[in-house]
Amino acid sequence: MLADLTLVAQIAVKSSVAVLLAGLGEVLAERSGVFNLGQEGMMLAGALFGFAAGAATGDPFLALGAAMLAGVLLAGLHALFVVGLCADQVLSGLAVALLGGGITAFLGRGWISRPGLRLGTWDVPLLSKIPALGEVFFRQPPLAYAAYALLPLVCWLLSRTRAGLCIRAVGENAQAADAAGAPVRLVRTLCVLAGGAFSGLAGAYLSLSYTPGWKDGMTAGQGFIAIAMVLFATWRPWRLAAGAILFGGLSALQFYFQVAGLDLAPIWVLRVLPYVLTLAVLVAANVLGPLKRLARAPGDLGRPFFRE
Amino acid sequence: MIRLVPRHGGAVRSGLWGLGLALCLALVSGAAAFALLGADWVQAYAAMAAGALGSAQGRMDVLIKAAPLIFTGLAVALCCRLKAWNIGAEGQFVFGAVGVALAGLRLFPGGGAWLLPACLAGGAALGALWAAIPALLKTRCGVNEILSTLLLNYVAVIFMEHLYFGPWRDPAGFGFPGTAELPEAAWLPLWPGTRLHLGLALALACAVLLWLALERTRFGFQCRVLGQNPEAARYAGFNVDRLTLTAFLFSGALAGLAGACEVLGVQHRLQEGLASGVGFDGVIVAFLARLHPLGVPAAALFLAAILVGGDQLQTALGLPGAVVRILEAALLFGVLAGDWLAARRLVVTRAEAGHAG
Amino acid sequence: MTQTAPLLSCRGLTKRFGPFTANEAVDLDLFAGRVHALLGENGAGKSTLMHMLSGRYRPDAGQILLSGRPVRFASPAQSLRRGIGMVHQRFLLVEPLTVAENLSLSLGRLLHAAEVRALSERFGVAVDPQRRVEDLSMGERQRVEILKLLARDASVLILDEPTSVLVPEEARELYALLRALALGGRAVVFISHKLEEIGRTADEVTVLRRGRVVARNLAPASDLDPAELARLMTGSALPEREQAARPEPGELVFAATGLAGGEGTGFSGVDLQVRKGEILAVVGVAGNGQEALAAALGGVRPFAAGEIAFLGRSLPARRWGGQRGSVAYVPEDRHGRATAPDLDLVDNFLLTSPCGAGLLPDFAEAERRVRRAMEEFRIAASGPGAKARQLSGGNLQKFILAREMDRRVPLLVAEQPTQGLDVAALAEIQAALRRAARDRAVILFTGDPEEALALGSRVGVMYRGRLTLCPGGSGPQALERLGRLMAGLEAA
Repeated sequence: MLADLTLVAQIAVKSSVAVLLAGLGEVLAERSGVFNLGQEGMMLAGALFGFAAGAATGDPFLALGAAMLAGVLLAGLHALFVVGLCADQVLSGLAVALLGGGITAFLGRGWISRPGLRLGTWDVPLLSKIPALGEVFFRQPPLAYAAYALLPLVCWLLSRTRAGLCIRAVGENAQAADAAGAPVRLVRTLCVLAGGAFSGLAGAYLSLSYTPGWKDGMTAGQGFIAIAMVLFATWRPWRLAAGAILFGGLSALQFYFQVAGLDLAPIWVLRVLPYVLTLAVLVAANVLGPLKRLARAPGDLGRPFFRE
Repeated sequence: MIRLVPRHGGAVRSGLWGLGLALCLALVSGAAAFALLGADWVQAYAAMAAGALGSAQGRMDVLIKAAPLIFTGLAVALCCRLKAWNIGAEGQFVFGAVGVALAGLRLFPGGGAWLLPACLAGGAALGALWAAIPALLKTRCGVNEILSTLLLNYVAVIFMEHLYFGPWRDPAGFGFPGTAELPEAAWLPLWPGTRLHLGLALALACAVLLWLALERTRFGFQCRVLGQNPEAARYAGFNVDRLTLTAFLFSGALAGLAGACEVLGVQHRLQEGLASGVGFDGVIVAFLARLHPLGVPAAALFLAAILVGGDQLQTALGLPGAVVRILEAALLFGVLAGDWLAARRLVVTRAEAGHAG
Repeated sequence: MTQTAPLLSCRGLTKRFGPFTANEAVDLDLFAGRVHALLGENGAGKSTLMHMLSGRYRPDAGQILLSGRPVRFASPAQSLRRGIGMVHQRFLLVEPLTVAENLSLSLGRLLHAAEVRALSERFGVAVDPQRRVEDLSMGERQRVEILKLLARDASVLILDEPTSVLVPEEARELYALLRALALGGRAVVFISHKLEEIGRTADEVTVLRRGRVVARNLAPASDLDPAELARLMTGSALPEREQAARPEPGELVFAATGLAGGEGTGFSGVDLQVRKGEILAVVGVAGNGQEALAAALGGVRPFAAGEIAFLGRSLPARRWGGQRGSVAYVPEDRHGRATAPDLDLVDNFLLTSPCGAGLLPDFAEAERRVRRAMEEFRIAASGPGAKARQLSGGNLQKFILAREMDRRVPLLVAEQPTQGLDVAALAEIQAALRRAARDRAVILFTGDPEEALALGSRVGVMYRGRLTLCPGGSGPQALERLGRLMAGLEAA
């Protein structure tokens, strides 16, 4: 029984990494006030280019670098339109998602079902020997450990550094931040680009570790789930981790139930739960007064910045 | 020195300018994308044109594909008039299909002359209900409708899959997941000798009706005011919440009709591949049409031609059909860039010596 | 009074927004060590002038001199670097962040709580570094804004209507602070339209009217007569105001007692009556509760208490909103609220007109009525299809009045209808109001006592949320009495 539980937990963590990485990037972007619906496209780009670079060179760092670059390029397009041209963020994000999907479908056709670089599970010395916890957290692919490190890093950046203060100010009240001398456009652009890098990493995780391999449309909506998770986490990185684990847990449970032939809850209910739960949190946040402050969106999220 | 300066001109003129620029930019960037990715863009465009317009079969496919696009385009355009987003057309489409299956397979399997209208009504009703959820969440709880409609898309698709994999599965289906076929009494009549179903005519009728409603009725008038100027709407005493809910209900009904017609006219059952991005396509159609109901059919036909032509790329040049998404993205970016350019005019000035002190 | 050179001054400063001139040829001197008050009605150009001095707007003509040297600012950040800082009416604070974080943002480096407390002590401005701005009272937030400027070594402090958001206790604290800061060698300017504060707080006063300076560096402020200030602020714009024959007042349309707006709205215990055929002109300096009262009378905001008798029927004031169909309300904001700028005149007409009722509004009938109104009121526009934003202020106001008069409802509430209009348009609107009064009861809210006397059969003065009725009349004595009532110097 414990072995089963541990296995499910391990799969849960494994399934949560992509959403967590993409979600961290989106948190940065949204805290600065930019809504990026193009996660799906950036993740796919990261998945394909990471896989291709890995297969071509065999060097994991080049692969990850290529993945991040692909994400950054697509994010740059979004930043150009949304920050530069003050265009509508929803439309631009959708366009990026479509573009990423189309480009990778096109370029990826030569890579389908090809073997490539595989970044498999890597046991952390010592830590992985811890009973239960060690198996769950420290027997994961390398990018999971990157996610473990990036999570507190993003937290620290947002809450303790001057850059983080700038980001938060720009996202809450761009006019006030501008009056205080913060470079609003630059901050937003950098945050969007960072989001792209994170999404690229998330995609690379899928194609190099999780699946692995390249398949057209392999992210299967995880980009949008990441965005929903950011809302579920009310823009706080630690809560995002909780949301990602929840999503991963539900995925693991689905898999487990199918394999074990259990029938505790209809599969479709499990699959639907992440979305319904997110909606429930959104409602609760708006309806319950005390939670309102915790759950409030960055004040200027979605509003383009014009200097008056 | 050449600068771009914001223009304070007529909205319509800049709208048409924007559209023209959008199309040009889209075609150019599409060609560039093709070229960069190693395909011959001339050949690619030629293959698409031939596939979509070159044969009777192709033209028929374009018309058939345009019908759901008109419906979803209208659905998105209606909500955007109130400056609200309905990105949930996908989910409402799905529930429209589910509504048809509910009426045709479960509630009234007997058939009869009124089965078709009942199915259509069921599809529209369920689509409307599915849109009512994000609308109520928005008006009562202040939940952002972009996210609620997006999330509900996934819920709808998963639910439908559950239905045709599970309780509504056709026992005689030979292992393919899907519902049983709907009784023929429920099928949309076809234009004699073709595969073109009545859905297209319904869609065109809805476009005209929506235009009339927006232009002539009090509902349309109030939508106009609310979308342009919420302060004036409040001053005039409009019930903003009720207006928003009504708009979403109509919008959901339209998207639901899209799903209903797709099932009743083409697929005749619920099965895999039913929805496939039609919601996002609706967004593109709506913005290409500049949110004008009478422009939606034209934009829908254009996009349908691109989609059908895209299918051709597979056979003619070995390119995956999904590459058409690049063109769709280019269209959206083109609309954004075109709007931005059209709202500005070129100003040539001499280098200034500095403002008067 | 030692005549040192002014720290900050301007000569001939002019600013236009399209055809509208906000400031014309303004000369001003601000001295270190003195608290300067800038007075004027709404729309007199005070904020625009200060925005030019603080770098937010670029002047179209004229010069700004800092310590005698001409300067040009491209942005508020630049002017702050030179020592000129402004506290706006709407604070530029990021609300979810703490005080320390907001200060850090402004200073460009992270400040610990201890550093913030040190700054607070050094300048004598009490703030709590750990609290979030959104939890602070208005007075506390204002102090944070002031501290922001002081920490950047601002030598000129400009405050835009600082006491408009403060309760009297906080206002007193602010006055004391401003005096202390001035004594520290800074030039302090505050914009106000509240006459009674001036004597207590400022050393000298400048009055603006319609974009021009009408009185400069009047000092000492404590010796000034508020009634005279009121006269300077409002002035007389029309050469002659016709005293048309007033029709006999008819039936009692609206009578109310004990109207109150509830907490924070600013009016209570208001009694008023108005009959068909008469205009009740309610005059007062902005900020004494008229805005809330007008909105409540117009049915847009609820009353908290009171009893109303409307056309013979009694109802509690709380239910007045249900009578919206019988009240024509012309709000102060003609461009964004009374009309929708991007829609055409027909659509705008339908906003409140009965042709708009029912499932299918009668667009044809509305267009006919718009044409009729355009003729009757001489509205200059290209036609019923013209967008509301294309009309000038005067024409738009005529359109709004025409629309509301077309409704033939018994009560018309008009809020500042002549504000910001040129002389000719003003006369036309006033004539239209008189015409309106023939068939209905009119309650007119205005900031101009001369207009109140000219139009109103009876006059009421709003002061600190209470309405005082007084007989009308004409001539300088009546005007002076109104001025004293408006300044709170007299109880009628």
